[in-house]
Amino acid sequence: MAYRVLIVDDSPAMRAFVRRVMEISGFDLATCLEASNGAQALELLHTEWVDAILSDVNMPEMDGEQFLRRLEADEALRHIPVIIISTDGTRSRVERMLDLGARGYVMKPFRPEALRAELERTLEVSSE
Amino acid sequence: MNDQTLAQALAECTEEVLEQMFFVRPLSDATDEDLPASHHLIADVDFAGEPSGHLILSVSQQAARSIAADFLAEEEPVLSEQQVGEVVCELANIICGSVLTRVESSALFRLGSPRLLPQGPQPKPQQGAVQSLKLWNGNLTVAMSTESSLCPAENESES
Repeated sequence: MAYRVLIVDDSPAMRAFVRRVMEISGFDLATCLEASNGAQALELLHTEWVDAILSDVNMPEMDGEQFLRRLEADEALRHIPVIIISTDGTRSRVERMLDLGARGYVMKPFRPEALRAELERTLEVSSE
Repeated sequence: MNDQTLAQALAECTEEVLEQMFFVRPLSDATDEDLPASHHLIADVDFAGEPSGHLILSVSQQAARSIAADFLAEEEPVLSEQQVGEVVCELANIICGSVLTRVESSALFRLGSPRLLPQGPQPKPQQGAVQSLKLWNGNLTVAMSTESSLCPAENESES
């Protein structure tokens, strides 16, 4: 099964990198959508469906925490699994994001296979 | 936690980030002779919390283009200055977050948006931890300083 994934990150370079990592890691990617912050992502999700979201934490306008809160509050969107990709791997940050509804957490730096594994684990759990 | 521990974390994290996400393996630590007064791209990242401080990353122009090309999987000639700058900022951002996570694993901190400073000669850091690396086509220096002393990371104190 090929998946539709949304990348939310304010860095165009990081979005391009994550997209490439999914492609070269062998992850079955059908479509990759991109947004530069949580607000833009929410707007996109009103017209596009995705199987998973990969989101940064620190972003202008609407950061990762606010984005997760808005997703959780929206019945139509709360089922979409979100994996956080962040440089901040402190225990308190990870716990906070998981408490807010994130289903996975990948800390930068990461190897391509680590992102693929977390994506596949999260999608597998979500489909059960 | 002291400056030596910060310096060790900075050295380890810089190499790890370069290798895992930018596909760069540094040749060696750089000496003063390896750091010519050529123009560098310089990125700055502030962080707030416990501790607060900032990180400055400086990389020679040719090395920056190579790093950006590898990160974006593009050919160097087609890269714009903006793309190279964005990659240098991302590199600074990842190194900064990685070091803070390693030395402050239980504290909440917030990284500011990385920004490019005007190009110029490589800055000479006066304080904090510094890591200079010789790359195959240039050099890279990262300097990090904090405004307060650091606490030991929990996982470090447990080991």
